[in-house]
Amino acid sequence: MSVELSLILTLLIPLLAAWANMIFRNHENLRDGATFIASIVLFGVVVNLLRQHAASPDISVELLSVMPGLSITLSAEPLGLLFATIASGLWIITHIFGVGYMRGNNEDHHTRFFTSFSLAIFATMGIAFSANMFTLFIFYELLTISTYPLVAHKQTMDAKKGARTYLGILMGTSIGFLLVAIIWTWHLTGTLDFVKGGILEGKIEGPLVAILLALYVFGIGKAAIMPFHRWLPAAMVAPTPVSALLHAVAVVKAGVFTMLKVGIYIFGIDFLSTTGASEWLIWLASASILIASLIAMTKDNLKARLAYSTISQLSYITLGMALATSMGALGGGMHIAMHAMGKITLFMCAGSIYVATHKTKVSEMTGLGRVMPFTFAAFLIGSLSIIGLPPLGGSWGKWLLIVGAADAGQQVAIAVLMISSLLNVAYLLPIVGKGFFLANPEPKPAAIGAAISPKSKIAEAPLLVVLPPVLTAIGCLLLFFYAGHIQEFLMPIVTSGK
Amino acid sequence: MIDAFPPAFIFLIVATLLPLIPGGSVRATIMLLVPVASFWLIWNAPTGMDAQFEFFGFTLTLMRVDKLSVIFGLIFSVAAFLSSLYAFKVHDRVQQSATLFYAGSAIGAVFAGDLISLFFFWEGTAIASVFLIWARGTEGAYHTGMRYLIVQIGSGVILIAGVGLLYQQTGSIAFDKMVLESLGTWLIFLAFGIKCAFPLLHNWLQDSYPAATVTGTVVLSAFTTKLAIYALARGFPGTEILIYIGAVMTIFPIFFAEIENDLRRVLAYSLNNQLGFMVVGIGIGTPMALNGTAAHAFAHILYKALLFMSVGAVLHRTGTSKASELGGLYKTMPLTMIFCVVGAASISAFPLFSGFVSKSLILDASATTGHWIVWLVLVFASAGVLSHSGIKIPFFTFFAHDSGKRPKEAPTHMLLAMGLTAFLCVAIGVYPAMLYSLLPFDVEYHPYTASHVISQLQLLFFALLAFGVLMRAGVYPPELRAINLDFDWTYRRLLPKIIGTVSAVASTIWAAIIGFAMRRINNIISGLYRTHGPEGPIAKVWPTGSMVLWIAMLLAATLLVSFIDLM
Amino acid sequence: MSDKKIGDDAENLPWLGRKLLWVDNPANVKRVFQVLILICIGLFFSDFIYARHGKFEFEQYWGFYGAFGFIAFCIVIFGAKALRTLIKRDEDYYAPHVVDTEEYPDSGLDKASYKDD
Repeated sequence: MSVELSLILTLLIPLLAAWANMIFRNHENLRDGATFIASIVLFGVVVNLLRQHAASPDISVELLSVMPGLSITLSAEPLGLLFATIASGLWIITHIFGVGYMRGNNEDHHTRFFTSFSLAIFATMGIAFSANMFTLFIFYELLTISTYPLVAHKQTMDAKKGARTYLGILMGTSIGFLLVAIIWTWHLTGTLDFVKGGILEGKIEGPLVAILLALYVFGIGKAAIMPFHRWLPAAMVAPTPVSALLHAVAVVKAGVFTMLKVGIYIFGIDFLSTTGASEWLIWLASASILIASLIAMTKDNLKARLAYSTISQLSYITLGMALATSMGALGGGMHIAMHAMGKITLFMCAGSIYVATHKTKVSEMTGLGRVMPFTFAAFLIGSLSIIGLPPLGGSWGKWLLIVGAADAGQQVAIAVLMISSLLNVAYLLPIVGKGFFLANPEPKPAAIGAAISPKSKIAEAPLLVVLPPVLTAIGCLLLFFYAGHIQEFLMPIVTSGK
Repeated sequence: MIDAFPPAFIFLIVATLLPLIPGGSVRATIMLLVPVASFWLIWNAPTGMDAQFEFFGFTLTLMRVDKLSVIFGLIFSVAAFLSSLYAFKVHDRVQQSATLFYAGSAIGAVFAGDLISLFFFWEGTAIASVFLIWARGTEGAYHTGMRYLIVQIGSGVILIAGVGLLYQQTGSIAFDKMVLESLGTWLIFLAFGIKCAFPLLHNWLQDSYPAATVTGTVVLSAFTTKLAIYALARGFPGTEILIYIGAVMTIFPIFFAEIENDLRRVLAYSLNNQLGFMVVGIGIGTPMALNGTAAHAFAHILYKALLFMSVGAVLHRTGTSKASELGGLYKTMPLTMIFCVVGAASISAFPLFSGFVSKSLILDASATTGHWIVWLVLVFASAGVLSHSGIKIPFFTFFAHDSGKRPKEAPTHMLLAMGLTAFLCVAIGVYPAMLYSLLPFDVEYHPYTASHVISQLQLLFFALLAFGVLMRAGVYPPELRAINLDFDWTYRRLLPKIIGTVSAVASTIWAAIIGFAMRRINNIISGLYRTHGPEGPIAKVWPTGSMVLWIAMLLAATLLVSFIDLM
Repeated sequence: MSDKKIGDDAENLPWLGRKLLWVDNPANVKRVFQVLILICIGLFFSDFIYARHGKFEFEQYWGFYGAFGFIAFCIVIFGAKALRTLIKRDEDYYAPHVVDTEEYPDSGLDKASYKDD
């Protein structure tokens, strides 16, 4: 299969899945089965692209030319391939989980849900493979729009309010800042292509570089850098599969992915480094990391806690770009994969707990670990990966970021990464500790300190719901061992200059 | 080709599979076999760098076999065996698996030939060990566990940050002797120091060891701190500041131990004091001193485990380990009492017991190198050890006033574990050549000279005499149900208070800002409503409405950009 | 028959415990103390009968170790007593549920009195 065809297929398959969803709206199993097959085929296509990449790295497909130099073009480069692989791979797992969750919870409007989901994947693939900023912007907006019905899915007042904040902030920042930044860039350079080493060097100088960068940074609302982060907790009203794939993987990673693309291919790492234009961003990202973690500690609602954790972790990636060193950028890219795997595990565990017990608050989960050992074991592994502990994938991302910060001479950033790890421990591991080792207070213990009865009955959520987080937890473990390959694969984005 | 199979892997593999095996006794038996296999592997491991892997662009060395790593690997295996025997009747999968993960990580860290592998195993010990605290299953233990975990993982992240900085600076991740001259090495030093319970970094130790399960504390006492001793001995031998840190470490816990009521916490303070001797040895850094550190760590693991086992057996039978609640137990637990006294005699360094033949190496080294103040401090600390570990532990548990408790003798497997450990303590004391042959350097040393034996006996017996005099005079501090503040007050009391105050102020200010901004935004939105008509669902109107605003702004921005461009 | 006092009828105790019962007698405790004094006197005078070799000059003084041990022990005790007046707090000082106030959960123990069989 040629690269061109594969690239087009990555867009076509999710669209077909969306279409099949509508066709089979009255045949539940057929509909969900079709999407499942689509997700597997999509993953296959992406993996195929991945394998062909080494042989033919510079192939692009122009879909539509608006005017000379401005076109919708697809191409595959390492960062995009990594992102697409994660998103499509996790789509399979999330789809299984989503089917289990929607059925287990008796949610309504399955067809609308799965159709929008497929469309969101379509937009994500578009982002991953866009060859220029214009294409990326189009798909970026499409992603916002396609996920809106998913956020508002429950159709309650809360859901509508959350969805409104979601759309308002994402649309507002992208049009108000990102579009301006893109037009400005176009104005300066006459191109929007992603080019190794950047396109802005020599075209702009002085404080304007920092201002243009700021427009990009704040324009990419999906990266949830403070103070434009409110949409992410607001989006937590969505059903958990949405939070899992979209708000831990696809949407937010589209944000930081765009951030990295801008840093690496529009500005260029060296350009950022020599002008020092991203210095302020190091501080902002650091603040974002710490403040979001502190807020996470105060949240009793598990999904809200995870959402703030995501905000904090996304800023790791922004930080990696802002460090303007090759190790930092690599660390950022690596962290996209590591965080995706870890955080989706946590969200699916949250969903599993909700399906089994309808509990959403951390304070109510005391003693649940003994009842749901698999879910909580997966949660533990996901947490350890997010914290960045061996032998889980998260530790490599953090290691590269530390080395990147050391390269940049940014000791403050190293301190932030260290403190953040401890804050992660403080807000994630209590869930495991209380879940496994404290007695459930509901049947009031006779005396203070009466221990857990050793034979609490195991009552897990349905298999379709429990299996996916267990799989992704194993994925976290495997990523630790394959991190070397990922690093090697990503290397070209920071080497060999222009 | 791997000539030396990393023994850590046996532990880790078995630990992973162990929960799947039905039958608690089967699991307990397997747990006894693993350390035996590990001991055998280490004993037969060929010297040199082995089990090297290319990983993530680094060469990781999992088996750096030399005399320093071997002696720690061996004693860790012995400790794992003895504590597993002691915990033979604990069939809780979590504790069993955690014990193996923990011991395996510690052994892995000892053989790690580079800083990255060291970090992996370093964090492994942190995570695995917390389960031994949490397994107690009470709220207090849960909170203690969280504090413990944050300190331990904190040590790990400081380590990796230091490694990162060092790597950036030197391009090497080798774990060899380092010099304190850059931020990177200082961070590594600090990471080791936290696990080693340096003064002011020590409270996690006294906080957590009394909180773990009966058997968990025995396991905990062996690995984490001695791993830190190993790491310091490997990375910072001869670093002068360690002499003074160690000297302070030997002194201050004595006073706290003397007035502490929970006997397991007394032992934790005493552990801290013993670490001080080893740290002094590392700081001196001569072959004699390093030998002393290794020998003392070896002996210490055994007698400290023995003491924790005996107090644990009392706790196991009576439900308490508080001196104020105990006393007179010799009548019904005489064997436990005897083992406890053996442990006490060993830690107090009575001749013919293990502490005597190991501690004197360090004292001798400090005297030989002319550190006379440090030497005096260490002799003072030796008398202090007698006061809390040598006398207080056995005396207030098994003698003193009769508590009326008549617990059964400890169960057989516990007695067996204690008996074996006690035997080793005496064997090392009587026949030190066996231990000396394992030491990292070849040094000729004879502990049993008339001068040495008599001066040590004088020191100890006059201290005992002082105890007798003070006891009969009624000035000996009574055992009271109370706790004592220590440096952990700063983070258990002071820090929460500061955070509480700051966050209250911050949230008030934040709420005011948000309120102000929301009012502004609402005004703008309602303004837009007025312009665009109030009808239609809200969800559709306001994004469209604001869109118009954004487009207007966008045009303005484009104009601005063009303007800037023209300049 | 949960906590029946059995300490006083000696034949109920294990053999070893029975053999040690004499330590409960105050007269015997006094005797132990006297023996201790005798040992100390003996140790003090042994300084005169063998060739001592220490690393420091002050080690050579007669009775150095004995005096040092005695004084050090006293310093530890009085120091600790002084320290206690400053830092002693109730067991629930930090929080109502800490390991110091909690009972150890029975399920992790095997509490048994000597005559429980």
